[in-house]
Amino acid sequence: MGSPLPDANKPDMPSEQITLTYHDGTSRIVYDSGVERPYPDGKLIVSRTDLDGILTHVNDAFVEISGYGVDELISQPQSILRHPDMPKAAYKDLWATAESGQKWHGYVKNLCKDGSHYWVYATVVPNVRHGKTVGYTSVRRKPSRSKIEAAIAQYADMKQNEEG
Amino acid sequence: MTTHNMLIAPDFSPERFAGWHMFNILIQKRANLNMHLNMPASHAEQEALIDAGDIQVIYANPFDAATLIREQGYRAVARPIGKSDEMVIAASANSDINCLEDLTAGSTISMANNRDVKLIGLRLLEAVDLEEADLNWTVTETYQAAARQVIKGDSQAGFFLAEVFHSFSRLTKTQLNVLIESDLADISHVLLIKEDFPDTEILMNAILNLHNDDDGKEALTELGMPQGFEPMSEEDAEFMLDLMETLMD
Ligand SMILES: Cc1cc2nc3c(=O)[nH]c(=O)nc-3n(C[C@H](O)[C@H](O)[C@H](O)COP(=O)(O)O)c2cc1C
Repeated sequence: MGSPLPDANKPDMPSEQITLTYHDGTSRIVYDSGVERPYPDGKLIVSRTDLDGILTHVNDAFVEISGYGVDELISQPQSILRHPDMPKAAYKDLWATAESGQKWHGYVKNLCKDGSHYWVYATVVPNVRHGKTVGYTSVRRKPSRSKIEAAIAQYADMKQNEEG
Repeated sequence: MTTHNMLIAPDFSPERFAGWHMFNILIQKRANLNMHLNMPASHAEQEALIDAGDIQVIYANPFDAATLIREQGYRAVARPIGKSDEMVIAASANSDINCLEDLTAGSTISMANNRDVKLIGLRLLEAVDLEEADLNWTVTETYQAAARQVIKGDSQAGFFLAEVFHSFSRLTKTQLNVLIESDLADISHVLLIKEDFPDTEILMNAILNLHNDDDGKEALTELGMPQGFEPMSEEDAEFMLDLMETLMD
């Protein structure tokens, strides 16, 4: 699944240091400042990946909010945005749904380069070309506060079960 | 000489009407084709014309493009440069609705009959927990009429095609307050050609070169797409359809 992601740079803001372990067993250090970035009004955040979840396209809104440059994103795994508060089961469900050729919807908390985060309502669709899936597209929209609160509670529960 | 049929999706603003006729006259002359212009007044009328099976060229909105390309044998060949499909949600400048969050369940929305504008608007309202069933809808003949309802306080907000909203008079605009304007960028109308159309190359040549001379430029300016058309690959179109797919629910 490409080369493992390097450890994140320690941000200037106060932040918690966390070691994230990905599904393939690789791990890296990330920082969580707890600061939320507002979703860009009226826009969609768009990315595409290959069949392994490696980024092949990102739009301007994606680059801007993530805090990474385009060069730091393309050819990297989409999990570069993985936030430590997200339960593994959410991504298992995303991948199982997308790999079976279906559309997946869900609320996602994403980590920015500087340790801040943003919430999205994400949809993932398989890119079917001449009957074959060649990659995946994800389009994110702005979620409501009440949906974010519900996701925070649900994901905290799910994480507890994962660890316990 | 055979006459071909070109159809323009009904969601253009009324002042573009003359532009489409100029466009048709020019490409007929330059491609040496007989082309009959079909301008259905509604989506239902558009569907009936397409189902009758004799439409070779369609200037389609991105929502219809999905079915037309994936199920009805059309392919996307061009799109207007720098002209994406956007919408505006606006309230009366005199009202106490100053941001999307001020809209509540039970509010009335005025809009012209344009399901694409409605779909994008509903996606934007998700962010404040409003769904279609939470709102009352009044569908007006024109966007101008929708604007009047909002200004008079008969409805709490209006959904507008961004292009039409920006073409309103200054007086109208000062009485309205934009709550949000979409910036979806990658989504636009597309020019579709039926797969078995024999003269695609010559037609495309005429269309892609319109912006290179004064007559062509004039027609394109009338259409609100002064930069003209750019070619679209099969993958460009499929990418846009994948985006559309994510917005459907
Ligand atoms: C099209 C697409 C978009 C994705 N978007 C995100 C995203 O925005 N944030 C994220 O953390 N993971 C996203 N994922 C899931 C990641 O690939 C990955 O599964 C996740 O970050 C967890 O990492 P892991 O599977 O290595 O444990 C996306 C996957 C696909 C196919």
